[in-house]
Formats: sequence, C-alpha cells, structure tokens
Amino acid sequence: MKIKILLYFLTFFFLSSCSIDDTIEMGLPPHDPQLVLECYLEDGKPMRATVLESSNYFDAPTPPLVPDAQVTIAHNGRKLDLTYNPTTEGSPTKLYTHAADEDVQFKAGDFYTIEVTDGRGRKVTGNAKVLPTVPIRSIKWHFDGAGKAMVSATLQDKANTANYYRFMIHRDNIDSGSDVNLVASDELRDGKVITFGTSYTYERGDTLIVSLYHIDKQHYDFFQSVANAKEANGNPFAEPTKILSSVNGGFGIFTTLVVDRKKIVIE
Amino acid sequence: MQKKFTLLFILFICLIIIPTLAQNTATISGRVHAANDNQSLIGATVSVPALGIGTVTDVDGHYTLQLPFGSHTLQATYVGYEPYTTYIEVTGGDALVYNLMLQVGSSQLQEVVIEANTLEQKLNDTRMGVERLSTKEAKLLPALFGEVDLVKTLQLKPGVQSGGEGASGLYVRGGGPDQNLVMVDDAVVYNPSHLLGFFSVFNPDAVRSVELYKGGFPAQYGGRLSSVLEVDMNEGNNESLAASGGLGLISSRLTFDGPIQEGKASFLISARRTYFDVITKQINKLNEGKEDYNQIPDYRFYDLNTKLNYKLGEKDELFLTGYFGRDSFGFDQSGFSFGLDWGNTIGSLQWKHKFDNKLFFSTSLTSTSYKHSISNSVGDLSYSLTSKIQDITLKTDFDLLLDGGHSIQFGALATRHAFTIGQFNFDVGDKSIEDMSYSTGKNYEAAEFGAYVSDNFEVNPLLSLSYGLRFSGFSSRGKTYTALEPRAAAKYSLSESLSLKASYASMMQYIHLVSSSGASLPTDIWYPSTPYVKPQRSQQVALGVSKLLWNGSFLLTNEAYYKWMNRQIDFRDGANLFVNNNLENDFLFGKGESYGNEIYLEKIKGRTTGWLGYTLSWAYRQFDEINNGRRFPTRYDRRHDISLVVLHQISKRISLTGAFVYGTGNAYSLPVARIIVQDVEGREAAVVPVYNDRNSFRLPAYHRLDLGIVLKLKPKHGEADLTFNVYNAYNRRNAYFVYFERVTDEHDRTETFEAKQVSLFPIIPSVTYNFKFR
Repeated sequence: MKIKILLYFLTFFFLSSCSIDDTIEMGLPPHDPQLVLECYLEDGKPMRATVLESSNYFDAPTPPLVPDAQVTIAHNGRKLDLTYNPTTEGSPTKLYTHAADEDVQFKAGDFYTIEVTDGRGRKVTGNAKVLPTVPIRSIKWHFDGAGKAMVSATLQDKANTANYYRFMIHRDNIDSGSDVNLVASDELRDGKVITFGTSYTYERGDTLIVSLYHIDKQHYDFFQSVANAKEANGNPFAEPTKILSSVNGGFGIFTTLVVDRKKIVIE
Repeated sequence: MQKKFTLLFILFICLIIIPTLAQNTATISGRVHAANDNQSLIGATVSVPALGIGTVTDVDGHYTLQLPFGSHTLQATYVGYEPYTTYIEVTGGDALVYNLMLQVGSSQLQEVVIEANTLEQKLNDTRMGVERLSTKEAKLLPALFGEVDLVKTLQLKPGVQSGGEGASGLYVRGGGPDQNLVMVDDAVVYNPSHLLGFFSVFNPDAVRSVELYKGGFPAQYGGRLSSVLEVDMNEGNNESLAASGGLGLISSRLTFDGPIQEGKASFLISARRTYFDVITKQINKLNEGKEDYNQIPDYRFYDLNTKLNYKLGEKDELFLTGYFGRDSFGFDQSGFSFGLDWGNTIGSLQWKHKFDNKLFFSTSLTSTSYKHSISNSVGDLSYSLTSKIQDITLKTDFDLLLDGGHSIQFGALATRHAFTIGQFNFDVGDKSIEDMSYSTGKNYEAAEFGAYVSDNFEVNPLLSLSYGLRFSGFSSRGKTYTALEPRAAAKYSLSESLSLKASYASMMQYIHLVSSSGASLPTDIWYPSTPYVKPQRSQQVALGVSKLLWNGSFLLTNEAYYKWMNRQIDFRDGANLFVNNNLENDFLFGKGESYGNEIYLEKIKGRTTGWLGYTLSWAYRQFDEINNGRRFPTRYDRRHDISLVVLHQISKRISLTGAFVYGTGNAYSLPVARIIVQDVEGREAAVVPVYNDRNSFRLPAYHRLDLGIVLKLKPKHGEADLTFNVYNAYNRRNAYFVYFERVTDEHDRTETFEAKQVSLFPIIPSVTYNFKFR
C-alpha cells in the first residue's frame, strides 16, 4: 500500500510531466510450461479443479488447457478421480477443467490430498486440512458526515495458534465481484478480537454479503505472493516475488474453504 | 588466522614506528588561507620543489612537513589563487610555524578548475580511491533542472554509480547506498537525499567540497562497508557580510554569511526550498469544487544549514554546525488525507585545539537523527507509521607529528543509537466501533564504539606508507560484537611521473538498512545488529598505477579492486517490512563480492579541462534462499561505465561544459512466464507474472549528453551568473524500468501482451540565476 502511494507520488511529480512509455521488443528465454492447479474444496459443493499450464508471457492469451491431465483427490483413504470436462459458470466466469459428481462433506480436522499427472510426466501434489469455521462475531456500520458508511466486522481469534483469515464483501450477491478482499494473520492480535474494516464507501440501502474465511498458511502465502508478484510488474521499487504455491511440482493452490457468511442491508 | 594476521600487523606498525627517531630534520607547520576572506584552503599544496617534498593541507587548511636542516624555498599553490613562495631557514630546536596567505588569482581563467588538488599531489598521494570535488567545480557542470548537486557530480567519477535515472544515491564499487558513511562536520547523515533520491540534501551554497573514499579507508573511519563521503561545509566570511543565492526552476537558495566579531567569529546561514507546492496549491484552488477534479498532492522539500565558528585564541577554535531538512508530501481531499514526511536533523559542536606544532586535537559532540512518518486518515479511521534513528556521538581525534616522516593519528568515538522501528498506530475516532485500535513497533538502544591508531610514514621520497588499526564494537540487546579492522596503503614512485599504489581495508557495519527494494526509499528502516543479526563485514584490496602525461598536464590513473563482503542482508519473498514485530525473522544472510578496474584520465589546468573515466566492474550477491543459492548480479552491477566531462573557458565571462555518460543497462528482474489465477468465487481471474532468477535481465544501455553554458555577469552589487543547462541533449529515451502489459479490446478481453519501457526525463532545458551581494 505504502509503496503504491510512493509510486503515485513519484508518478505525480515526474512521470506525469516527463515520462514516456514505449512499446519495446523483449526476448524472453524459452519457458518449459508447468502445471497450474487451482482447487478450492467447499462444503456441500462438488469437487472441481482447474488444471492449466504456465505460458511464455507473450504467448497467445488462450487458456492453456491440459486435456490429458488426470486429477485424483483422496480423503479418508478413499480416492476419487475427477473427470476432464471443461465448463464455465458464474460471473465473473470461472473455468473448471475437472469435476466429480460427488459433493464435498466437510468435517473439521479432515484431511484431503490431491494428485495431478499428465502425459508429459508432470506431477503436482498437495494437501489441505479442513479448519474449523470462525464465526463473524459482529458487523457494524458507521456513517461519516457525507452520509457514506464504513463497515467493520469482528471475530474472536483463538489464542496460542497461528490463524489466518480472509475477509470479503460483495454487493448484492457473491457473483458481483468483491468490493473488499483482505487477508490477515493473528500475529499481532493473538487470542484477541480481530476487526476488519472498510473505507467510507457504502450508502443507505446497499445490500452487502460479508464473508469471513478461516484459511491456512498456504492459502495466506499464496494470496500474498500473487498480490506481490502482480505489483512487482510495473513498480520499479518492488522486489519481484516468486509465487508461493501450496502445491508441489507446479504452481497453484489446493485448499479448503470454510466460510461464515452474513448478508446485511445498510440502513 | 585473523588473529595471527592482526598480531603481525601490529608488529609491523611497531617495527615501522620505532626507528623514526633522531634524524636531522625539523617539523614545519602552519595554515594556508585565502587573503580575501581568511577561509582555510583545503587541499592546497605546500612543497619544497628543490627537494621534491610536499604535502596537502587538511580539512582545516593545516599542513606539516618534515624538512632537513638548512635553507629552503617553501611554495604554496592552490587552484584559483596566486602561488605563494617564501624562503625559510630550518634549524634544530623548536618546531617552526609558517602561515601562508594566498591571493585570489588575477586571471579569471584559473577558475575553470576540475579539482582543488594538483595532479602532482594526486600522483604522490598514498591514499587510493579518493575523489575530491569542490562546489566551484560542480557549479560549472550541467545539472538536472539546473539543480547543482555535488553527490550527483561524484557519480561521474569511475567506480561510482547512480541507482537510476536522475538519482543521487551512490553505489560505490558494488556496495549499496546504505553502505556509505556520509558525514557533515563529524555528524552522520542517514538519508542524504530529497525527493526519493532525485536530489541530495547538500545545498551547494553551504558546502565547500566533498571527499569520497572508495577504498583504502584511513583507520579513523568506520561503520560502513563501501565508502566514506565527507562533506565539508563552508565557513562564514570573516571579512564582510555577504548574501548570495540562486533562483532555479525547482528551488531557490539564499545564504548569508559574515563576521560576528572581526577576525574571531563568523556565521553562515543557508536555506533552500522547492516551490512545487506553491504552484500546485494554486492549481488546486482554481479547480476547487469541480466534481471530476483530482487534487494534485502537495510536495516540498527544504533545508537549513548553519555554521558558526569562533576563535577562542591562537590555539583553540569552536565550530557549531546545524542542519535541518524535511521532505513533505501531503494530500487531503474528501475526507481522505495522507502525509509522508521525512528528514534529517543534525547538530555538531567541534573544538579544535593545537597543543603545539606537533600535536593537534579535535573533539566533537554530535547529534543526528533521521525520521520518516506516514499518516493516513479516512473519516474516523487513522493510522500512522514512524521509524527513526537517533544518535549522540562523542569523538576525539589526535594528530601527532613525529620526526622521521611520521604523522600519527589516533582517536576514539562512542555513539549511543536509539532506534524506533515500525511504530504503527491504528486508531478509530469513534469508540463505538469495536476494538479496532492497536499499536505495534519496537524501540531498541545500542552503543557503538571505536578506537584507532594510524601512521602516515614517508619512508623516503620514493616510498610512503599509511597503515593503521581500528578496534570497533557494538552492543545491543545483551550482545556485544567487537572486531579489529586493519588498514594499509602504500605508494612507491618509480619516477617523477609514475607511481605504484596498493591498499587494503577491512570494514565493519553494525547497523543495517531494511529496504523493500534495491532502490533507496525514504521509508527504509535502520536496524541494529542483534544477537540474531550479525554485523556486516567487507575487505577490499586495490592496486593502482598513476602516470603524469604530456609534461604533467594529464594524470592517468588505473585502479583495480576486489571486495568481498560477508553477512549481507536481504529479505524473504513477500516479507512485511513495515508492520512486523519480528522483523529479523524475515532477514536472509548471504555474501557479496565485487571487482573491477577503473581508468581515469584527467586534466585540471588550462582553458580546457575535464576527465574521462572508464569502469569495468562486476557486483554480485549470494543467498541460500534466493535463486536456489546461485549468485546473482546486484541491480547496480554495471559492466561498462564511461563518463566524459569537458569544461572549456571561451572567455573570462563564458564557459562551456559538457558531460557524456554511457553505462551498461541495470540488471533487472522480469517475468519469464505467466499463469492465470481465478481465485475464489466472486473474484476476477488475473494474470500473474512468474519471476525466475533475480536480476537476470538487462535494461537497454544508458547514455546521455548534458550541456551547459555559464555566463558571468558584472553587476554593481558583487557577482552574478546565468547558467543554462540542457539535460539529455539528444533526448535519449533511457529505460527507467520495463513492465509487461495486457492489451485488451473494447470488451476488456485480452488480445495480446507486450513489453513497455518507461523513460523518465526527455530533453530538459533549464536556467538558473546565481548572485552574490558583497
């Protein structure tokens, strides 16, 4: 955040008046594509995964599908193969390449593993534990002088364990794109009440869906490193960050999503 | 191994010092000063040409010479001044004092000078890797926006690189900007730059000269690995009250100086301020109330330099120096306010005492602090983030002249550091909002100390040695580190025009800059050595040869160096360096090395002067956790670096100047691939760059030509000049950074990806008016 502001500062002073952007030819070394897996298991929803592969930066922008990828999820000693059948759904559109008919039934403490292989001998593995749901303790909103409201939500952190949270707010429904998307660790607030807050952006009558995910460290690291990697492209002050994947053998994330979700209307 | 080496070194010092007694020589000493304003002349040459013996005045204008008994012709020279010659008789008994007063040169042409040292003196100087630069010189050279900057001018010297376009940071022989010891009148300057490094904090009107050590560090200096930059401030004019200043494109300067008590005390006060904010405030005011208008943030920097010197008597002098500088950036609109302020505050009280003509003493009490502070508020929510370092230092240095060509320096210093690291406060004005306020941050205290002894030994007219030993230490959080830092340099004259030189220096650095990027930002945090964070160490060896060419009008110098550094610091990927109570858990420790060769050809006399420098160099770092343990080039690793500076005096009133620089493009990290991350429900899919090895790409080569004309005016009130500059005269688009962009159609669908290069400064003409009232 601060770096962005500093960059804005720099931009304001020099770039706006003096800087010039030129398109240039940039040769990149050959890239050996690696598997990219995204699989978020959610209670009551079917097992679905997206398997793509990484691309050279200047390749055509078509999704690099991997039709011969085989996805297997294991749980409680039982293995389930996901079928390759690319489908899209939702808004913003999500692409799923593999799915199983069976819905996920979460039990806190359960352990899932995933294995992805393909015809080129590439293999990605990962595991995820079902964390207990952490309930949203309270949601409040507060108006400023201009009639705009900020929303705050609290949770009670469990002491003496490292916990990570993801906080999102959507307007009207969760397909609408999130207004707020934050992650936090309890490092500075272990065992205390943790509060997430927004800026003064909401108005009376707004319907908001507030989601609190209890995430694991792998999810937290992946989220942060993806954000940092995106920021490094175009910020001359940022040190580039490698993506901290939660899976081995490729890029991506395999995790469980436990969420407490509440709908509020700003009044 | 290291202990053995140290013992041998001490033995070597003893062996050299002992046989120095009872030779038929005597010491003469004195001060060289200007006749017009009584200012000490630093770097003036005092010599006995018939004997080939000479020396250079120190920062107080003092000199000492060991001469054989007999009659001699003593000569003092200083560029821009008439040479002074006197006849002296050297006999046994008391040491002799000769103060030498030089008249300002009658020919204005002599003012076009490159440096305040003669080439002969540089040829015979035992020290290596030293660059001296006077304000007088810097003011002649073209500058970005016409803002004269001594530090940026130093970047034109071999072995010294800038961090990027227009930046004033110094990257010396593969070292980082945090590895430079920057001192003003004995006080450390922690952040020597304004405006994210585009300007240095040194107001040219307040500074007389700067001296940069790139290697071969004398034992009196310690605490940083890569360089020492000593900034010598102007003293107030002793003769009459004067006002001087300059009106520039970006800032204006005003300086007053003069006597307080004639011959005894004088003062100098100098201020500088930018005026972007004055303009942007007016623009904002004109657009006030417009719905779609986004306010332009306010930005300004200013600094204030003061110096007071007071002669207590023939043997004692007091100096009181002050510096206060701030950068301030702010934005306030529609309930959202943001502020970022940073700056140095420095105070120094020095007492110089002369016991006799062989023993000099200088002691100083200095206070320095650097602080940055960020504040942000939205309605009732506010946060602030502050980091600070504050030092108090007591330092004492002795100079002792011994017979037999020895000049012994010894002294000690003690510093108390106080660190405030990431003091973060989040607050909610409305207490009905539950439990959101919290604070983080750490405060540490530390003590740093050092003691040294060194000897400059002129063995004979051909061979001179400089060697010393520094003992340093640091104590923090229950852990004390100590180290011995040996230093040595030697010069051997093969002929009157050719000398060989060699040096070795071991340096320790006990405080570290926590920086989120390879660049130097004002929000970087100074962090002490702790039980977990060990001090950094470097060792550097250098070999050189200097040759006077074409009847002594050119000096060609070649220096090769190798530097190796241990316990270098970097950070884990994604480390949070700002709101983090366990910051050192994110530190990574590794090593570094740099090596290269610097060629420097300079000419300092005549109507056309200048220099040509070429550096071939390599700079690497290596960490187990970065690049899978493979070494990688630093951002400022620059294989080839060329600078050509030419000054030509057309007439007494007009000078033309030009500077051309060429450098291999900076090492840079770029994505080698991309992946698509869709994220959880409700999130847009995003293209995420995949980075591979650090700094594995190169930006295109950097080159630029700057031109300038200095036109001296003849006003009735005193002196004035108009300086016209053209920065980047042929409008080269040098890459500041490169990024990859997604190109979309009208429905925001990705069509392709392309690489973009951002260049900062196109051709920039500027004009500055400088004046001086007497």
